[in-house]
Parts: sequence; C-alpha cells; structure tokens
Amino acid sequence: MRIPILKLHDYLLISVQVELDDQTALQFQEDVLGKIHEEGSRGVVIDLTSVEMIDSFIAKVLGDVVDMSNLMGAKVVLTGIQPAVAITLIDMGIVLDEVPTALDLEQGLERLQLELEG
Amino acid sequence: MKPFIRDIILEHKIEIMEEWQKEINKFRTDDSLQNITDTMYENTNREFVNKLILTVQTEGGGDHDELIQFAERLIQLGWPLNYITRGLQEFRKITIETLSETSDNYCKSIEFFQEIEDWIDGIVNLLVNQYSGSWENTVFLQKMALKELSAPLIPVFDNISVMPLIGTIDTERAKLIMENLLDGVIEHRSQVVLIDITGVPVVDTMVAHHIIQASEAVRLVGAKCILVGIRPEIAQTIVNLGIDLGKFPTKSTLKKGIESALELTKRQIVEIEQ
Amino acid sequence: MQVQTHVDIHSEWGIVAARQAGRKLAREIGFGSVDQARITTAISELARNIYLYANKGQIQIEEVTVSGKRGIKIIAVDEGPGIKDLRRVMEDGFTTSGGLGAGLPGVKRLMDEFDIDSEMNAGTSISAIKWLR
Repeated sequence: MRIPILKLHDYLLISVQVELDDQTALQFQEDVLGKIHEEGSRGVVIDLTSVEMIDSFIAKVLGDVVDMSNLMGAKVVLTGIQPAVAITLIDMGIVLDEVPTALDLEQGLERLQLELEG
Repeated sequence: MKPFIRDIILEHKIEIMEEWQKEINKFRTDDSLQNITDTMYENTNREFVNKLILTVQTEGGGDHDELIQFAERLIQLGWPLNYITRGLQEFRKITIETLSETSDNYCKSIEFFQEIEDWIDGIVNLLVNQYSGSWENTVFLQKMALKELSAPLIPVFDNISVMPLIGTIDTERAKLIMENLLDGVIEHRSQVVLIDITGVPVVDTMVAHHIIQASEAVRLVGAKCILVGIRPEIAQTIVNLGIDLGKFPTKSTLKKGIESALELTKRQIVEIEQ
Repeated sequence: MQVQTHVDIHSEWGIVAARQAGRKLAREIGFGSVDQARITTAISELARNIYLYANKGQIQIEEVTVSGKRGIKIIAVDEGPGIKDLRRVMEDGFTTSGGLGAGLPGVKRLMDEFDIDSEMNAGTSISAIKWLR
C-alpha cells in the first residue's frame, strides 16, 4: 500500500488516510525522500488527522522522516495529530521534541511559510 | 435471642432506659452536639432508646425498620455518627450491668453476655453501614461536582483560549484537564492556549509534571502553550524543586500572557483616537 | 462467557490485525477514545515485540471483571529467546532494535496493570490490564 504524495509549488502535501502498518510506514519514508529529491521541495506537510494510533515504531519513522528531510533541505510540519494520539504519545514518553506541528493542513502551510521566510 | 433473655430485658426496661438517658446526657457537651436544643436532644434520646428496646420486643430481632428510619433522620439532620456508636456502647454496658445485678444466675454467665453482644453488634453494624453508605454517596456526588468544575477551555480571541485551573490537581483530574484541553484546542482551533495557575494553591513536582505533559500534548496537536499566573511563592518552589520549565514560555499574569499570545498570532490591541 | 480474541502474530500483518481486534473490543466494553488509543498502542507495541524478537507468538485480548470492575486484558505470549535483563528492558530509552526504547516501559504507563514473565530460551509472557474508569 502506498500513501499518495501531492505536489503544490515548492511544497509536498501528504494526507495519511490509512492505518499505518510497518511496511507502509517505511515505504512512505522512502517515497517522501525520493519525492523531495525529485522535485527539490522546500517544505512538507504531513497531515495525520485520520490516524487513530501512533506507536513507538511509527513515531520513530515519522521523527526520522523529519530529520532526514531536514538534511535534504526540506522543512516538515506534522498536522492534525488527534488528542487521543497526542495523549498516548505523551504517556509513552515520546515527545517528538524538534518536530514542528500545526492544527490542520491550512495552518501547517502557514507555519511552513513562516519557517522558510524566517 | 432466646425468649427468656428477652423477657428479662423487658422486665428491667424502665431501669435500663433511665440509666441510659443519664449516661447519654454526659455527651451533651460535645462540640458536634452544641447546636442542638435541649428538648430536641432529650426527645431524640428517648426515641433512640425506645427504638432499641423495640428491637428486643419484635420476634426474631430481625425487624429493624423503625431503627433504620430513625438513623436515616439523624443522618439528614446531620447528627454525628459517634452519637450513635456511643449511645450503643452505653446501652450495652448498662444492659449488662443492670441485668447482672439481678438475682438470676444465668445473667452472670458468658453465654448471656454473648447473646447481648450479638444483639448490639448487629445493630452497630446496621447503623454504621447506613452512615457510611450516606458518606460514600456524598463523596461520589462531590467527586462528580468536582469533575464538572474541572477546567473549561474558554476562547477569548480568535485562535486564543484560556484554561483557568482552580484547586488541587491530582492525577485523575490532570487526565481530565488534559482531555478537555486538547478537545477544546481542536474545537476552537486555538493556536495559543494560556494555562492560568493563579488558582492552584500548591505546585509540586507532580503538578508541574502534569502541566508539562499537558503543554507537550498541546504542542503535538499543533498549538502553543503559555503558562500564566505564576505567583512569587510558586516561582520559588518551582526553582527550589529543580523543575525545568525552561522549554515553554511562562508569564506572571494572564494579562501579559494574552499580550504575548496576540503577538504570536501577529495581532495587537491599539487605542482608538477619538 | 466473556469475549475473548486470539490473534496469531507471524507477520507484520498480525500486528495490524491484533490492534484492530483490540480497538473493537475496547470500544465494545465502553472505553473512551483516549483509552482506546492507549489500548491499541499497547497492543501494537506488544505484537511488534513478538514479531521482532520471537518471530511468532500470540496476542490474546479479553474482557475481565474483578469485583465489579470491568476492564480489558492483553496477554502476549511467545516461545522466543526470552529477555535477558528484565530490569533493563523496562528502562526508558533502552533498545536493542534501534527503536525509541519506549516500547515496554511505554506499555506499562499506558495500562493500569503490567506483568512480565520471561525465561531464557523458553519464551516470554506479558499481561497488561486497563480498567474502565
């Protein structure tokens, strides 16, 4: 299963709509990095509104995507993390410290613009 | 209870009742009984002892309805539990004393004492259960009330909300606060949330931990947290306990917090020239 | 007869199947959305551990009632190599797989009760309960 990645000017937009199993998550990591390379994107918004659960593995994959993208010169913002998911992550002691977040896709794009200008 | 024991008790009913009322009057000076009038006190005593004697009269001793109703009324009127327990202790003492002074030899036997003990213990258990049931109910209702009080998220400007925290924060309340906070952030699309701890009496490591977790969760869903209402003594305890709040912004007052929230969302309040 | 589900873990798909079964039962018992996420995540961690370290095993999910309290119980059993140092795996940040090291200590924090039993070269059994509040 592959998660579609949309391109909008300098940005990539990704809305994760499926339950993430390990293989899909890893495939997703690869696809995002490939696409950044291909398009020379400067920013990525990953929307997680429909994701009902993030365990330590998926959290690690997401954190890695952010770090790897940063290395390639693209800023990543995670959006739409659900309250239940956020509380579970905090309970587990996973803070995703360095990862920028926003409420939804719209605010995520604004935040990206802000980060890239500043 | 054996019929002849019942007969002996009923035979000495008047003595026991008089003696008991004398003893129970010694508790009259207790703090918890101060605001009860003398007539009320006497009437209640008389009723209490009558109901106790009644449990002897009724066959099998199983029918305690009248006593239960009596206790229910005392609970409603706010009489302390120790009025009942002391009353019963005295009643037991006096019954045994009075009867062992009689000529009947059986009244001096262990078996007799046990009969009396069993009878009174049954009543004690019954009434104490009733009292504690009413307390549990009260505690439950207060818990519910506290839950309802727990931390509403109030939107004050577009994208800015305030959550005033009042009272002690324990683990259960912290969980509730966190859920309210995050659901509110999503509902109101808040970009900045001010958590006001002016009304929190004590901030220890536990409370600080809960607040830090809440603000981290807020950040994950995509908003920013500012902690406001930090009184001097709270700042002192936080530093003295070595709690690191360095990671998120704090302000002394809600007013300053709102100013910086407006700044974060690129707005400001200006005076209009007339 | 209380509800009980078994999911065999022998591929990554087992992980997904186990957490879906867990979410379904948690919802049926009446857990709120936050606790549903906690339970599902705990199942996911336990199932992944089986897959990563023992290759195959089983997740059992069942409803429990103890003295009037209702809850959900997760049991993860495998016949893998066992855990060498039980104390260390419960430390935050300890990992042998290159993950976040949040797995087992995370599960303990997500659930209300946690019990682990492991024997070298014989297998590991973990049980965890979340009570309905």
